[in-house]
Amino acid sequence: MNAQTLFPEVQQREMSFAEAIRDAMAIALERDPTVILMGEDIGVYGGAFQVTGDLIERFGADRVIDTPISELGGAGVAVGAALTGLKPIFEFQFSDFAALAMEQIVNQAAKLRYMLGGEAAVPVVFRMPSGSGTGAAAQHSQSFEAWFGHVPGLKVVQPSTPADAKGLLLAALEDPDPVIIFEHKLLYKMKGPVPLGHYTTPIGKAAVVREGSAVTIVASAIMVHRALEAAAELAKEGIEAEVIDLRSVRPIDRATIIASVRKTGKLVCVYEGVRTLGVGAEISALIAESEAFDYLDAPIQRLGGAEAPIPYNPDLERAAVPQTPDILSVVRRLVRGEV
Amino acid sequence: MPVEVIMPKVDMDMAAGKLAVWHVAEGEVVKKGAALFDIETDKAAMEVEAPATGRLHHILAVPGVTVPVGAPIAFIYAEGEAVGPAPATAAGQPAEAALAAAAPPGAEVAVAASAAVATPETEVEGLRATPAARRLAREAALALEVLSGTGPKGRIQRSDVEAEIARRRQPPLPAGSGPAPGTVEARPLSRVEPVAPVDWEPQPGGLHVTTRKGTGTPLLLVHGFAADSFGWRPLEEALPRDLPLIRIDLPSHGRSPLRQIGGFADLARALVQAFDRLGDGPVHLLGHSLGGALALALADIRPRRIRSLSLIAPAGLGPEIDGAALNGIARASCTESLTPWLKRLTARPAGISDDFARAAMLGRIDPGLRAAQQDMARALFPDGVQAFDLTAAVERVAMPALMVWGRDDHILPWRQALAAPGEVALHLLKGVGHVPHLEDPETVAGLIARHLAA
Repeated sequence: MNAQTLFPEVQQREMSFAEAIRDAMAIALERDPTVILMGEDIGVYGGAFQVTGDLIERFGADRVIDTPISELGGAGVAVGAALTGLKPIFEFQFSDFAALAMEQIVNQAAKLRYMLGGEAAVPVVFRMPSGSGTGAAAQHSQSFEAWFGHVPGLKVVQPSTPADAKGLLLAALEDPDPVIIFEHKLLYKMKGPVPLGHYTTPIGKAAVVREGSAVTIVASAIMVHRALEAAAELAKEGIEAEVIDLRSVRPIDRATIIASVRKTGKLVCVYEGVRTLGVGAEISALIAESEAFDYLDAPIQRLGGAEAPIPYNPDLERAAVPQTPDILSVVRRLVRGEV
Repeated sequence: MPVEVIMPKVDMDMAAGKLAVWHVAEGEVVKKGAALFDIETDKAAMEVEAPATGRLHHILAVPGVTVPVGAPIAFIYAEGEAVGPAPATAAGQPAEAALAAAAPPGAEVAVAASAAVATPETEVEGLRATPAARRLAREAALALEVLSGTGPKGRIQRSDVEAEIARRRQPPLPAGSGPAPGTVEARPLSRVEPVAPVDWEPQPGGLHVTTRKGTGTPLLLVHGFAADSFGWRPLEEALPRDLPLIRIDLPSHGRSPLRQIGGFADLARALVQAFDRLGDGPVHLLGHSLGGALALALADIRPRRIRSLSLIAPAGLGPEIDGAALNGIARASCTESLTPWLKRLTARPAGISDDFARAAMLGRIDPGLRAAQQDMARALFPDGVQAFDLTAAVERVAMPALMVWGRDDHILPWRQALAAPGEVALHLLKGVGHVPHLEDPETVAGLIARHLAA
């Protein structure tokens, strides 16, 4: 289920992932006066990855606010603004820098609604460019979905298409809780059909983006595209893989994954975060605990990031995260009964 | 007082059992009725349930050792109860001494300190099967042990179980009709919709024959309906040790192939064929129930090779039979439905223990075998009546003959014995039901031994 199938009658336009996010922010700024944008160099410069672009010209510096080079300070102001009734969208230049703002995200934003007995909410959205593949090296290439997915009170999404990037951002603004959106940097230029106007993609719902019966591949963000590429190749060999786009890490869509594994009996998790204690570990565990256990016909396989910092060397950088041939290889071995 | 955990008697003739694996470790909590340990008998491995709730202590037997029936192998303490040294058994002996003393000669017995149990030297190698394969096998009542796995390291996978189910469900089709072999699709099985009727496929090969060596003329044993050659063991133990034995598993029974049986004549023909294949030497012949009727037929067809005839509650001497019990046994797909019918076999229901019933069910776990036996029951006992008559054959018996019948036989009334001519020695045992060789093997063995010696 993606935005296209949800809204077949809505007109759509080809947009890049970055344009779709900008479109979502523009729509939100237009329809809701409480929405503001915050972040380092999001104004005149247009954002580290040119996602905010010309929004400062269209909506003014009162609503598109450049913040000083202090992630902790900026995030703290955003959380405070959310508490007072605004809906800030705070952009980190790199998700890696969220480490500097952990106090505000984890100890304040995620906890306040709970600690104040529901009297206040923190409807802040944190946009986090993430992932490797751009030669940005160890401190600018990480995938922290599992970190934030571990915190009750936060919601964590990972769109893989321009349409979902827009729909999930607009859904995040309607959510009373802080939502973290991981935007894979390699996807920013990817183009796809995006419905025009306002719509939301539900948080907590995965999408079956390719149906198959031989194996279930659960992937997120850029890995969805690598999984689909692998699935197309596997189809030529007669192996029909089902590909699930996770979309949300917290809450995670247990039902869709369980239903698929019940059907296929085999599960491969593909994610860019470090393999150990990552999103794939959670998916593996939820299957092992579920009624799908009795349908498993082979050991669960996880493809995740290497147990190492992301290297600067481009060849090593590629080798550090799952690539299409890795998915092909693990699925072939799984289906042939070699593992 | 802690509750004693003993080696149970799961088989009528079982003297000792081999401990396969503990499911609960020393000091862990156990719940009454939960799986506590597995034992292996000659027939199968089976799970034994915890007799009480509490904590397991004083594990006395390690996996792999043989322990005499009734010997204590561990104790369950109530929560909070002080754990002292291993308590004395009910008989007043220290538990470890009782375990050693109760060992039959030749049995391998090991008494282990608790510490040794924690690190058994030989790890029990478990069966490798995927959860999907296990579920499918469970729903089809297939024993995983009979399957061979095609996965890595012999792991049984879903496709292996599906192939076996498809093989067993492929109906015997006349050539040229219906789907070609290999295209038969296994229908999905579910727990709520049990598989009745199961299609089964006749299997090639002759009847399964086993022997025990000895001196002199061998005794040929023919078991009854829904039994198999294992059922003779209590009697074998009681018979003279040097008496050579030949046991035949009837078609669709024990380890013999499944066969389509149109009626009693087909069955008799199969037995005569197997008998002819044994050679041309003489035998003493013993049959029980349906096997008794077949023994009568065989004695009628091959009289010159039969030195003597012994019949235990033979069928074929009257129309009455407890057809419900036979059908019930043949049909039962779980211990719960098998046990009430098994209890009709003995004079009193207490003669069949729950553990015995569970062991019996394990021997009938193959749905193909059960389906074939149901078909056979329909052919032999339509409408709960014995559809074959051997009163003429019993009139013609030319060799010394003996008949043993329990006065409390609920399956075949002992008065049918009166169809036999006066020359046949008749022994009516008091307090015995349809299975005298299981209920009182010593008496029956004594009668037969005297009969063979005469």
